[in-house]
Amino acid sequence: MQGKKESENKKSKYRKSGYRKSGYRKYHYVIIAFLSAFSALMMYPMIWMFLTSFKSNAEIRTNRTKFLPVEWTVEGYLSAFERAPIAGWFVNSMFVTICVTAAVILTSTLIGFIFAKYEFKGRKLLFMLLLATMMVPPQVTMIPRYLMIQKMHLFNTRWALIVPGLISAFSIYLARQFIADIPDSLCEAAKIDGAGPLRIYWHVVLPNIKPAIGSIGIFTAMMHWNDYLNPLLMLNDMEKMTLPLGLVIFDSQRSTDLSATMAAATLIMLPMIIIFLLFQKQFIKGMTMSGIK
Amino acid sequence: MYIENIDVLDGRGCGQCSLPFLEKRGMKNNRFVALVLIPSFLFLLIFVVFPVVYGLGISFYDYNPANSQNPFTGLENYVRLIHDEVFWLAVKNTVVFCVAAVTGNIIITLFLAQIISVLPSRWMKTMFRTILFIPCIAPMVGTSMVWKYGIFGTDGGALNKIAGLFGFAPKNWFLTTWPMVLLIIVYTLWADIGYNVVLFTAGIEGVPKEFDEAAAIDGAGPLRRFLWIRLPLMGRTFAFVAIMTMANYFQMFAQFRVFVANGGRNYSAMVLTNYVYKMSFDSFDMGYASAVAAALFVLVFIVAMVQNKMMRSDWTYE
Repeated sequence: MQGKKESENKKSKYRKSGYRKSGYRKYHYVIIAFLSAFSALMMYPMIWMFLTSFKSNAEIRTNRTKFLPVEWTVEGYLSAFERAPIAGWFVNSMFVTICVTAAVILTSTLIGFIFAKYEFKGRKLLFMLLLATMMVPPQVTMIPRYLMIQKMHLFNTRWALIVPGLISAFSIYLARQFIADIPDSLCEAAKIDGAGPLRIYWHVVLPNIKPAIGSIGIFTAMMHWNDYLNPLLMLNDMEKMTLPLGLVIFDSQRSTDLSATMAAATLIMLPMIIIFLLFQKQFIKGMTMSGIK
Repeated sequence: MYIENIDVLDGRGCGQCSLPFLEKRGMKNNRFVALVLIPSFLFLLIFVVFPVVYGLGISFYDYNPANSQNPFTGLENYVRLIHDEVFWLAVKNTVVFCVAAVTGNIIITLFLAQIISVLPSRWMKTMFRTILFIPCIAPMVGTSMVWKYGIFGTDGGALNKIAGLFGFAPKNWFLTTWPMVLLIIVYTLWADIGYNVVLFTAGIEGVPKEFDEAAAIDGAGPLRRFLWIRLPLMGRTFAFVAIMTMANYFQMFAQFRVFVANGGRNYSAMVLTNYVYKMSFDSFDMGYASAVAAALFVLVFIVAMVQNKMMRSDWTYE
């Protein structure tokens, strides 16, 4: 009896305010409060980093309980720039990321186009092989890759990071899924009109998969900008390093200079975070698409 | 980017590797196809297939690139592997870390995605998702560095400050055994939940609302609707997230390198990736390191198989 009454109650509630609000409305404030607290907790390390970078080392040592700097200073930044080639690291990271991202966008859409729209012998087998290469964890091939890069005389150059990244199986897969959604008739029509494969690729395929290109670009750029393992293996000289590796080396060389370390960390993370906040809609969309496609 | 289970990519989330979506017929132009695919697959052969074979080969040698002679030792590296306590510890730690972190990650992200999805306004949803995603944007070495000093630091770390409120003396967490492992898991969760929150929110919003409404009319409460309606209907997203997260966590490396480069106290936080790195680039014992890497490959493969068996959600709501 009780149950029936309750369900009737729910029903009328549902009719009044829509199902979404029916079960949760009374919890909204709790949820918002919880999420706000949780978000503050999530942000704490980043805020700590930012604030510490504006403290002097003396203050970090003596004034441990204060969260905000007593005296704001850019000492840490000056010392970071003085002691480490941060500008150079930034240029290296930028160069590697842009080269790899551009190359991956090109190769993955082109190869994806072939797997999506062309018929040839062994297509299925080759695609399976492609997907199978994704199953190899990078640490498994770490030693051979290191030895190979040395033999190719690419060791300790930017090309050691760029060349092995030119083709990405996952990006090819993603591009293929999107290109497959383009109606075949569109490609056929272009073909009948006399367009060659590259023209179809450039004028029919690419304009139709702009969101996928964005997604692949974001994914690849983030991966290479943040990569630590490959630079660690392939680079030796301080001035040739990328930002994430540089930060670790910087820290291991002067671990007492916390203010400078946090200044360097802030400089490394801030550009990416600002770009993310500016384009967060596209970022999130791109991330989601890589997941659901 | 690598993934340990290709079945998840075949559009159905699992099943046999039949890839039925490849059956479709298309245009023909063998010259163009060959022109693009031959160099591409040559590239993959050189940078993916060959290294696997090469690595396997090295594992039968006593290999050090600095030595002039690297004698063939047969299975000696593997015999050593079986008797190596640190190796087995690393296997155990890797599995424990992955299972604990992935489970924690999925429970937390599902919960967060669910409560975010019921927020009343769009800007609130966007705001919280954005905040949770920020740690994913930053490089893991960078955020590990911040945690190393700001959270776990002996002097002035947040953890010791909180412990101090309860009257505990400051502790050097990096010298502890299991607490350090737990802290690394907490760090990993912090650094990585944003991504899965985004994926799960999309998954939840992708479930047709009719099912949820019908259950609401039948009198199911929010929790029951979530557990019995939305969660099963999100099967594909769930399988994808679980497999990708697991694959991702098996290759976690940066935070172990920053927090416990030598494996921590009594190797309690030594994982396979770090062990391979340490053996090959700290001690330059590359033959043995290749044997460890081969073991890592086998382990990843076993996990992929087990997951494949477990994640059978071939049905959808279409």
